[in-house]
Formats: sequence, C-alpha cells, structure tokens
Amino acid sequence: MDAQAPSLTVAIPNRHAERRWLPTAWSGLLIVILAFLVLYPTAMLLIGALTTTNPVVEGYHFADLSISNFLTVATNPNVGNALANSMIACGGGTIVAVLIGLSFAWVVVRTNTPCKGLIASAGMLPLFVPPLVAGVAWSILGSPKTGLLNLLAAKAGIPFHIDLYTMPGMIFVFGIYYAPYVYMFTAAALKNMDPSLEEAAEISGASALRTMATVTFPLILPAIISGMLLSFVVMLGIYGVPAVLGAPANISLLTTYIFALTAWSPPLYNTAAAVAVILMIVTGFLVWMQQKVLSGRSYTTVAGKAFRPRPLNLGPWRFLTLALAIVYLIVVVILPSIALLIAAFRKFLFIRDIPSLFDAKQYGWQHFIKMFDNPLTITSIINSMKVGVITAIVGGILAFAIGYTVTRSRAPWRRTIDIITTIPVAIPGLVIGVAYLWAWIGLPIGIYGTLWILAFAFVARFMPDTVKVLSTSLMQIHRELEEAAWICGRGTVGTITSIVLPLARPGVVAAMTLLFILAIRELGSSLFLYSSGTMVMAVQLLGYYEGGNIGITAAFSLVQMVLLGILITITNRISRGATPTGPVRTG
Amino acid sequence: MSAELRVENLRKVFPPTKGTPLAKAAIDDVSFTIAAGEIVVLLGPSGCGKTTTLRCVAGLEHPTSGRIAIGGTMYTDPQAGVLVPPRARNLGMVFQSYAVWPHMTVRQNVAYPLKARGVKRSEQAGFIEEALSLVELSAYTDRPVTQLSGGQMQRVALARSMVYQPQILLLDEPLSNLDAQLRLRLRDDLRRIIKRVGLTALYVTHDQQEAVVLGDRIGVMRDGLLLQLAAPDELYNRPADIFVAGFTGASNVIAGRLVSRDGARGDVAVAGETLIVRLAGDTAAGSAVSVALRPDNVLLEPANAGPNQFPGRVTSRNYQGTQTVYEVNLLGQTIEALEVGSSIRHAVGDAVTVALPAEVCWGYGA
Ligand SMILES: Nc1ncnc2c1ncn2[C@@H]1O[C@H](COP(=O)(O)OP(=O)(O)OP(=O)(O)O)[C@@H](O)[C@H]1O
Ligand SMILES: [Mg+2]
Repeated sequence: MDAQAPSLTVAIPNRHAERRWLPTAWSGLLIVILAFLVLYPTAMLLIGALTTTNPVVEGYHFADLSISNFLTVATNPNVGNALANSMIACGGGTIVAVLIGLSFAWVVVRTNTPCKGLIASAGMLPLFVPPLVAGVAWSILGSPKTGLLNLLAAKAGIPFHIDLYTMPGMIFVFGIYYAPYVYMFTAAALKNMDPSLEEAAEISGASALRTMATVTFPLILPAIISGMLLSFVVMLGIYGVPAVLGAPANISLLTTYIFALTAWSPPLYNTAAAVAVILMIVTGFLVWMQQKVLSGRSYTTVAGKAFRPRPLNLGPWRFLTLALAIVYLIVVVILPSIALLIAAFRKFLFIRDIPSLFDAKQYGWQHFIKMFDNPLTITSIINSMKVGVITAIVGGILAFAIGYTVTRSRAPWRRTIDIITTIPVAIPGLVIGVAYLWAWIGLPIGIYGTLWILAFAFVARFMPDTVKVLSTSLMQIHRELEEAAWICGRGTVGTITSIVLPLARPGVVAAMTLLFILAIRELGSSLFLYSSGTMVMAVQLLGYYEGGNIGITAAFSLVQMVLLGILITITNRISRGATPTGPVRTG
Repeated sequence: MSAELRVENLRKVFPPTKGTPLAKAAIDDVSFTIAAGEIVVLLGPSGCGKTTTLRCVAGLEHPTSGRIAIGGTMYTDPQAGVLVPPRARNLGMVFQSYAVWPHMTVRQNVAYPLKARGVKRSEQAGFIEEALSLVELSAYTDRPVTQLSGGQMQRVALARSMVYQPQILLLDEPLSNLDAQLRLRLRDDLRRIIKRVGLTALYVTHDQQEAVVLGDRIGVMRDGLLLQLAAPDELYNRPADIFVAGFTGASNVIAGRLVSRDGARGDVAVAGETLIVRLAGDTAAGSAVSVALRPDNVLLEPANAGPNQFPGRVTSRNYQGTQTVYEVNLLGQTIEALEVGSSIRHAVGDAVTVALPAEVCWGYGA
C-alpha cells in the first residue's frame, strides 16, 4: 500500500499504523481454523497408523508408536492388490473422462453444433448423480445374469452381453460420470483463451488440426491436467461404484478395502488408518507430480477482457457431434433413469418377456410405501439438507477468505495458508472420514456423533476444489480493477465488497452450489462419521442396497435424484441471476 | 513477393444478437486498392469497422458481400462462393493483443509459420535470423516470450508475421498497448522495417499521428463507410467531408448559407458578410453550409489586405510554449487561431483583423 498511495499514507498516518497488526491476526485466524479442520485430523490419522491402540476402548495412548505396525500392513498382499486395482480403475476412468470431457468442451465452446446450450447443461448432469446411485443403476442395467440390457437382448434374440461387475465395467462407469470435471476445466480454459492466438496460427498457414495440436492444446493443457487431477483424486475416494460393481466379483479397491476393515469385528481401526495413509501417499505423490508438470506452464490469458467466441463451422458434421452428445446423454442419464424407474415401480424385477415390461399390472408404489414406513428415510433426508447448508455456507465463506487472502492480499504466511488448503487434495474422502474418526472418536466430549463432524469433514475435504473455483474467478478480475478502487479511496474491505465480491459472484455462487451438492451426495467420509441419530441419505441408501432390496434401493435413489434435481434447478436460477450478462468487449 | 490488394464493395452485416436485435452493417460498401509495396492506414473512431475490414481481408471474417482480390487472384467473393481460408492466403497479421504464443520461445514463435509451410529445417534458421535481426531481437532468440516486455512481444509478433515474406501485412492497432514513448519509437521503426522489406501493408489505427507518419495513404472511416482515401497532405489540405475535416484537425466550423457558386468556388453569407470558400461537394446555392478551417490556417493581423478579412476580438489566450492558441470572436461566432513561435503577440481584448485564406476554407453542405 505504502508504495502505491504515498499521499494517502501521508494524509492519514495514524490510521494506517494502527491497522498494522490486522493482516497478521487475520492470517493467524485462518491458520488456526485450517489446523482444526485439516492438520489435527491428519496428524491423528498418521498416529493411528503407527499404533495398535484401539482409540474407542483405550482412548489415546501413544506409547507404542512404531513404524513396524505400518510396515506390517503395507507389505500385506491384499493391500498391494487393492492398490493396483485402484490405480487401474481410476487411471482408466480418468482416460475415459478426459476423452469425453475434452470433446464435450470443444463441441460446446468451439463449434456450431445445434442445441449447444442443452448439451452444455445436460453434460453437467452426471456431476450431480451420486456415485452410489450410478452404481446401482448400472448394476440393474448391466449385471451379468439379471441386467436389464442383457435380459432384453436375450429376449429379443440379439447377441449382446455385457458384464459390468468387472474392471472394464468400473472404468466405464467412472469415466462417464467424472467427465464433467474435465469438461468444466477445459471449457473454461477454451472460453478464456484469446482467439487471436489461434487466428495467428491460421494466418501463419497452419491447418485447423495443426492449430489445435500446436496452439490450442498446449495452451489448455494446464486446464486438462487440472481436470484430470481432480477427477482422478475424486475417483480414488469413491466408495459407491466399487462397492456395487466391484464387490460381486471380489474386486477390492482401496476404498472398499478400508471400509471392510472398519466393518470387521472387532473393527481394525489401526489397519484402516495405515491403508488410508497409503492411499494418501499415493494421491499425494500424484498431486506433487502433476504440480511439477504444471509449474511454470500456466498462462494467464485473461486480462480484464472478454473474448467473443469464434465457433468453427462444422457444416453437416455438426449433426454428428450432436448425435454423439445425445448418445452420451442417453448412456449417462436416460438409460440409468429408466433402469431406476423400472426397478422402483415394478413389483418384481424379473422380466419374463418383452410384453410384460409394458404390463401396467406389474407396476405400483409398494416400494415407496415401504421405504417411507421406515422413519430413518425422512430423518436421513433432513439431516443431509442440514449438513449441505452448513457445508456450503461455512465452506463458501472460508474458501472466499482463503482465496482472496492467498491470491490478492499481502497478509503474511500466505504460502503456508495455501499449502494447508491444498493438503486435502491428497486426501480422498474416505481417508478424511477415517482421519476425523480417529480425531474425535476417542474424546468423551466433542463433535463426534453430531452433524457438525460431517459438515467439517466435508468443508475440509472439498476445500481445495472450492478455493480453486474461487481463486480462478478471483484471478480473472484484473488486479487493476481492484487497484482502481483503492485509488478511489476505498479500503480493503470496501474494495472487496464493492468490487471483488460483485465481480466474483458467479464464482462464489458456483462454489457454494458445488459444495452443497457434493455434501449431499458424499458417501465416502460419511461412512465413518454418521451415527444412528445423524444418518444421512447416502449412507441410508447404501444400507438399503446392502439389505438386498433392489426395489427400495431404486425408489430411494429416485427420491435422491429428484431432490437433487429440484435443488440444482433452484440454485441454477439463483446463480443465473447473479451472472452479469453482456460482457464488455474491447479492442 | 508483395502484391496489390483490391477490395470492392465490401459489406459486412453481423447476424443480430440479443444485445443488437437490429442488424446494422459494420462495414458498408467499402472499396479501395492498395498498390504493391504501399502502406495504407485505415483511420477512424472506435467501432467504425476498421478491424472488421482487416479481418475480412485476412479471411477471418466472412463478408456479407463484396470482393477481395490479392495480386490479381480472387480470395473472397461470397456471391461466387469463393472463400479462401486464412491459412492459404499467405498474409501476415499483427494482432492488437500481439497474440504471441506464451508456451513457446521467441524462436519457436517465429519458426511456426515456416514449419506450417513445410520449410526445410536447414533453411528455417536463415529466415528466422533475418526476421529477428530486422526487428532487433537477435539477442533474445531463445527466451520464452513470457519474459519479454510489451514492446519486445510486439516485435516478435512483427517478426513472426514477416518471416515467410507474406504478400500483404495486416496490422491491427499494433501499438495501442504500448506506452507513448515506445509507441513513437516503434512507429518510426515499423515504417522503416515495412519499407525495407517492401511489403504491401494495411494498417489500422485510431491515432492520427500514427497514421500520418506511417501511411503512404490514409483512409478515414466512420460508421462503416470509407469517407476518403488519400495521401496525408491531401487529407489535411483537401478533406472531402466535414467529418474528415474535423477528424484531421479542422476544428473551426463556421455556419452560413451558400449565396452563389462558381465551380468549386463559393460565396457564403455569414452574419451579413461574405466569406469565399472552396466547395468539396455539389452543394446547391441557397442551402446551408458548414465551413471547416484549421486553427493554424487562421491568420491574425495579416501583412497585406485581401479578401476574406474580418474584424475580430481576442477572447482568450492559451500559451503553450512553442505555440499560442487564441480564441477569437468574429462574424458572431468563436473560432480558434494557432500561432507558432514562443512569442505572444496579442492580448485578451485586443481588436484584430482576421484573415481566413479562401483556399483552406472548405465548405460542406450542412
Ligand atoms: N463478431 C461481431 N458480432 C457482432 N458485431 C460485431 C462483431 N465484430 C464487430 N462488431 C461490430 O461491428 C462494428 C465495427 O467493429 P470493429 O471491431 O470493426 O470496430 P473498430 O473500428 O476496429 O473499432 P476499435 O477502434 O474500437 O477497435 C462495431 O459496431 C462492433 O460492435
Ligand atoms: Mg479494432
């Protein structure tokens, strides 16, 4: 400030001097909050992996801390097997997700494919489908013996058979459902890229393909890697898909293996902690590697400037891209929805022949009635809403505070804050669950058994993504816009509320919406943190599935999907109202 | 390699959007020809269609109608279905935002068009060397472009657009993102470099000074129309249009009525006096006219008596060191007079005789 506004400093030296301690106190506060949310549970998890003490029975005694406990677990062949399976499933899924997400981004941002708006919004739908629901729907469709697709193909005499209870099955489901992460990142990068960079290549004599390969792709590569990183890490923490598709074929992933350990009797909390640490190390290593790839390769192409997109005229090919988009939507939205509808409303899932599929007598509300007879159903819905709201508000505010402090302010310890904030990137949801379990289960008073522990775990878990979304939108606000407000005599807080917040509002709303929806769907960390009084939807759904009643499971899945659909529509309305329309064009 | 550019009746109407439901032509019936090796500057206020014209020539924008030929070959002719893509036009273009690729070094940026043209690796080095030395960047060959200053990036963009000896060089306000001093230096450099290579160039700017220094001819545009395309001195001394006159600095406008005309000479009645002017158009006697005149062409206290001399009074004085601007009240109107030199010759309140030389008083139908 001093260098920028010398005259101000001279005019009001006292006020300036008084506030010197404020940035330090502010950074300190953020670090304390982050320590509570991230560092303490992580530390407890590490300690848990190094002892053999049971925290529930014995409380926390750490006299026997030893690396040998950890090594015993790490060298167990089952662990190695689960690790390898996880890498294959998530790696394969990421490749599929990149292919789909990148193509979608290109089609939506850069071509004149008809119904682009529809494609763009429909392409985001899978993001809102809870993985467990996706898993359930696809097991109804593609289980080797009773899968609807297989039954129908057999009845119709078509030589077609799929088995999703396999590794390729899991890769397929992972890939199609996590493509939106890649899409979000790459579409934004494509939109924010100065079109004259590509035009310059065209003028230079490069063909469209060459331009794409040598200019467009390298420039959005950081975005692609970010999207890949995000989707890979999300997949690693997914419990629902491998629980449904992997379990029948005995394919154990790290997540399902960790949960199995805590479901043992007696629960093997130490072993679970050790495996969770392994999962964390793997993820951490990958994150570090990606960061290294990214370092020095991020190009700020946005400078307070709105670009007019220049869509490529595909000619008749635009109907092919439209068709591909429709096929994707059928596979990812329509087929699973039909499967869930049939399973939820049909008295018995067995289908004798094709006419019986359309026999109205076979359908009814019996599964829904039975489901709502169970009081836990309603309780879990209410609890999920509460947790979602708390997570969105607490997480949104915290993320904005952190994002602004790190990217914009000159407060001390920004680097430390940034590092702590990104730690959860390396901690899959399930591991956060185990860590929070370790952090709070042994304390007689505390938040274990309340909704708050779930909300805090979610805030911590989604912090990196939320901060990233916010920082991106903060960084798009050219520094000069903010400096202009300072020059006009606004203070830091005044500038934030009058300039930064309004300009970043789409980002803030997007981040909070994302948080809310992610929190409602979150299964991995909830598994370890719910209690009978704090049952949430995702866990309740898993309960129904494991209870073996596919009708109720499908019915409850539908209820969740409808709820999510309503919420997304509402939040979309809000965020659309918040998005400033009509970008100003200069140049 | 430089070629002639011919643009005929170019018209571009952007499809209506939400913000602008009524489509208005961004450029309307623009025609001009640039001879091989000539530099033409399109000058005009923001939004007048300069960039659109340039992009149509580049093939980045498809005109609604009209024709563009380069070196005698038709490149754009929507009526005949001819639309050569940008990559096949062999043009160079310098963008306002530079558009140097941030993921490449200086050399990679400049080599890119050569690679795209399949120039042999062994031959590339020579071309790159030459282009970079032309823009005086030889010392920066292997720097990532992100580590260059704005002016250096600008020169990378220039080297990149010239390295393959294009038929025509297109420049869209290449200096507008630079600070004033650098702009002055680079604008002289630009002309020197372009002339040394002998390129045909179409240059877009809204800065008059830049246009005068750079252009062999200047085209003034407004609202999608090309008002006048002429050599700088002609533009300044014989503006074809009241807007051109004002835009090039003829800021004094005297309103009157045309009493009679004799060829290009006209007698204009102003406040009971007769002002002899030159007429640019075919304004009929009896109609209202606006007479435009540059402040530096207004003479205070002329040495000899003559026509077009009127009594006036100095109402304000603005001393600017090497020149002085006076506001003078005459013929019931206020006009500005500019005298060069560091001495002050008149005081506020002085009665002065004011001469408005007939050959630089341009009358336009109002
Ligand atoms: N892609 C487009 N879609 C719709 N309207 C456009 C588009 N490009 C330009 N226009 C409009 O066409 C007109 C001319 O624009 P152009 O960019 O050629 O102006 P310009 O003379 O280059 O102005 P500046 O000096 O500000 O760059 C403007 O009114 C502009 O709003
Ligand atoms: Mg322009």
